[in-house]
Amino acid sequence: MDDLLADFVAETREMLEASEGEIIAWEADPTDRARLDTIFRFVHTVKGNCGFFDFPRLASLSHAAEDALSDCRAGRREADSALVSAVLAVIDRIVEMVDIIEAGDEIPEGSDEALIAALGENSDLAAGEIDGLSDLVGAVEEVAAAIENAEEGAADEGQGEQEAPRAPSQNAGVQRSIRLPVDLLDRVMSGVSDMVLARNDLAHRLRQAGNQPTIDGPFERLTTILSDVRDAITRMRMQRIETLYTALPRLVRDLSADLGKQVMIDLEGGDVELDREMIETVRDPLTHIIRNAIDHGIEEPSNRMSKGKREIGILSISARQSGNTISIVVSDDGDGLNEERIAAKAVSVGLITAAERAAMSREKILQLVFEPGFSTAETISNVSGRGVGLDVVRDNLERVGGSISVSSTPGVGSMFTLKVPLTLSIIAGLTVEIGDQRFAIPQSYIEEIIDSTSKSLDFTRVGETALITFRGNRIPCLSLAEVLGLPSTDIAEGEHTMVLLRLASGDLFALAIDRIHHHGDLVVKPLAPAVMNCGVYAGSTLLDDGQPILLLDVTNVAAEHGLVSDARTRVLQAANEQDQDAGEALSRAMLFTDYEGRKRAVRLELVQRIETAKAKEVDISPDGKRAVIDGVILPLVGLPGGQKPTGKIRLLRLSDDTCELLYAVREVDDAVELQNALKPVDDDPLVEALTLVDGQTIALIDGHEIFARYGEPPELTSKPTCHLPDSDWARTILGPLVSAAGYEVVSGTDEAGDIAIVLDDSEPDTHLAEGEFIRLRSHPDTSDNDGSIYRYDRDGLVDALRRARAGGK
Amino acid sequence: MNDLMVMVEIGGRRCALNAHDVSSVIELGVVTPVPRTADFIAGITAMRSQSLTVIDCRRALGMDPKKFPTDHRGAVVSIANHSYALMVDRIDDINTATSEAENVSGGFGPEWSRITTGMVETPTGPALLIDLALLIAGPESLGAAA
Repeated sequence: MDDLLADFVAETREMLEASEGEIIAWEADPTDRARLDTIFRFVHTVKGNCGFFDFPRLASLSHAAEDALSDCRAGRREADSALVSAVLAVIDRIVEMVDIIEAGDEIPEGSDEALIAALGENSDLAAGEIDGLSDLVGAVEEVAAAIENAEEGAADEGQGEQEAPRAPSQNAGVQRSIRLPVDLLDRVMSGVSDMVLARNDLAHRLRQAGNQPTIDGPFERLTTILSDVRDAITRMRMQRIETLYTALPRLVRDLSADLGKQVMIDLEGGDVELDREMIETVRDPLTHIIRNAIDHGIEEPSNRMSKGKREIGILSISARQSGNTISIVVSDDGDGLNEERIAAKAVSVGLITAAERAAMSREKILQLVFEPGFSTAETISNVSGRGVGLDVVRDNLERVGGSISVSSTPGVGSMFTLKVPLTLSIIAGLTVEIGDQRFAIPQSYIEEIIDSTSKSLDFTRVGETALITFRGNRIPCLSLAEVLGLPSTDIAEGEHTMVLLRLASGDLFALAIDRIHHHGDLVVKPLAPAVMNCGVYAGSTLLDDGQPILLLDVTNVAAEHGLVSDARTRVLQAANEQDQDAGEALSRAMLFTDYEGRKRAVRLELVQRIETAKAKEVDISPDGKRAVIDGVILPLVGLPGGQKPTGKIRLLRLSDDTCELLYAVREVDDAVELQNALKPVDDDPLVEALTLVDGQTIALIDGHEIFARYGEPPELTSKPTCHLPDSDWARTILGPLVSAAGYEVVSGTDEAGDIAIVLDDSEPDTHLAEGEFIRLRSHPDTSDNDGSIYRYDRDGLVDALRRARAGGK
Repeated sequence: MNDLMVMVEIGGRRCALNAHDVSSVIELGVVTPVPRTADFIAGITAMRSQSLTVIDCRRALGMDPKKFPTDHRGAVVSIANHSYALMVDRIDDINTATSEAENVSGGFGPEWSRITTGMVETPTGPALLIDLALLIAGPESLGAAA
């Protein structure tokens, strides 16, 4: 295929990607001129380009579409859904042909008359029929193409022989970008890595030679430039997640049309960047979840109406980066997951027993949908349930170090959270030593590191198996030296440093090593097959000094030693662990020193994580302190009044499953068992009891009280709505107050709220609210008791809003 | 046939590597051993920011490397997108093969026959032309990883 043709294919593809979202948006609002223009431009360009080549079918198709669209532009014709479907079908056909051209095959003879006819004004073909027709034609074409291929020998290759010189790039100036082979990028990247290593070597030598001001200055500059370049190159490999998004509106449109549902898609965070390869990895899981959401989640319009929801279901997809992970959240406002049905199904396929089911929480039951052999759809539709289950989705994500989870509220919707690492090639890792050799372990597996001197560690041998007891659990223990067949070092058994590793399956085991060496980002390189075959290593990486070390394949090592449980036991284990948590609720607590220097403890179950935040991320306002963690604003307690912290602060992130808060601590000590009696105290409501830990008096934080006082309930997914009058005062002054009271604000004449607020004497318009009307008056005192509230009587208004909310629901 | 050959000595025998396959000859610095792999994998080493798998050719032929001298340099070859450094007795010169690879009656002995495509004539005498893909597969390509 010659260059001109390749350009044509690439350009068509690019424009197509851009216009796909547009065409759906256009359907939603056929009067939107800008959208129409974009689509028109696309078919027009295709038509124009076809003129240079000899593609009669392509030309006639694009010509027909152009005609229809130009009628719309000139106002001779209304865009309706039949037209949009027809245009989509034409675009699909164009894509098929472009694919054929790219493969270097001849475009088969065939007729596009059906499609062109569908574009016609008086076409009575329904959208579905067109799609069906185009499928049929597509199938016929495939066969034709296959025959063509078989006879290829005689066919001459270039159908682009007759091209005339083309005007230099038609879309010049649209976007200044160039196409580069990924290979080339990789080469540049490895070149830069080499430069970094050479720099490190030089730095080493410079240090040995002592201070040399004339060299040190330029060397510093070199270092800065190099790290800039390195960042830039890394970014070159990144792609905006938008590229993934562009195809989604079309997918959602087609699916919802097939299923007779109305779905609106809401995309957010398109500017989040991800490694190219990772985008490809995420594509299938994401599509799968969207299919599921539309097929099972969102209800038919009539069904939705009867539940008091809006006819149109909302599917929202948002991407966010936090540290080295990207999380993509797909949420719908459909019916939610049915706990009972999931549980019943799990019992019927033998994943759990009825007794186990009774002991499991809703949260745990929902996660069962990711287990192999699971699919709740009772009938297999052509949308989901095509034999690929959510277990495959989970497996694929776990393979690249990602994860997936689901949460759902019955009747309100469900939310799938996908997490993937930013890149495949750079991971956070821990370098450990055995004797004088080093190995790397991916950070994502590491649950905890237990120092050899820690007393909480109890090492025993049962038969040949080593076990450690940690926080009351017996955990199998592998010695890395034994796993690798290295001679054991002079460190006595049980004196090793332990790394607790949590596998994706939830299994936990300990790995005994000699020393922790280092912790940082590792650039992972593939290994030769002969080395990979032994199943112990996942790759290699270079240390700063250029020495290569091996990255351990934790999952394989665990599997080899029989430490990975199968799906069934995995489920049980999760349930058991929960039981244990419940049983031992009294026994464990996190010990810390607070900002007033007192030793305190908080029940371990409440502690989600230990966070570190910069002092500037803490906001102190009269109604309380807050801090921003992972892009979420959380209430902050534990800082003494008036004192503004400096530098970094340690925060315990506490959670009661629905809301979270942060507790600032000066120092986190350790997790301890509460063995001694708890002595309740009365003087401080925030303290549940006093107890003795290692002879010291410790105050145990009262979880109930702290959440009751400071916890902020999460935003409700569906809020009641309140209609406000159309005035500046209502919008800017009243609006925020009403939102703060938990209402969603609506205004204008075409939208009705659950309740409405009217001003002074204006007549309540009964169309505007289904429930109560609240009347505000402009003067503080009025003689006639008409039930109105003075507009600045904050308490009265808030109270009225609360009553309306309680009454309306 | 006038292909360039990198002449090496493996286990005391003169062998030839096709110069097209050899991308460079490097100093073998620190070789990090790789536990649990077949013994002919001497370890991994770094060439700039790339990591190379070091193959001890003597062991790949089932011989004991201690009986032979070992060159401090290694020949870097790339097979199936992976780079390897070959550890040999000695890396000699580059020479031109003056004949096609051909078999001799009776073969070259089972170990050698497994990894060679035949004998080539060079100005310094006959040499075995090594098939690199077969060489790095190791003595028992099946189960060698155990």
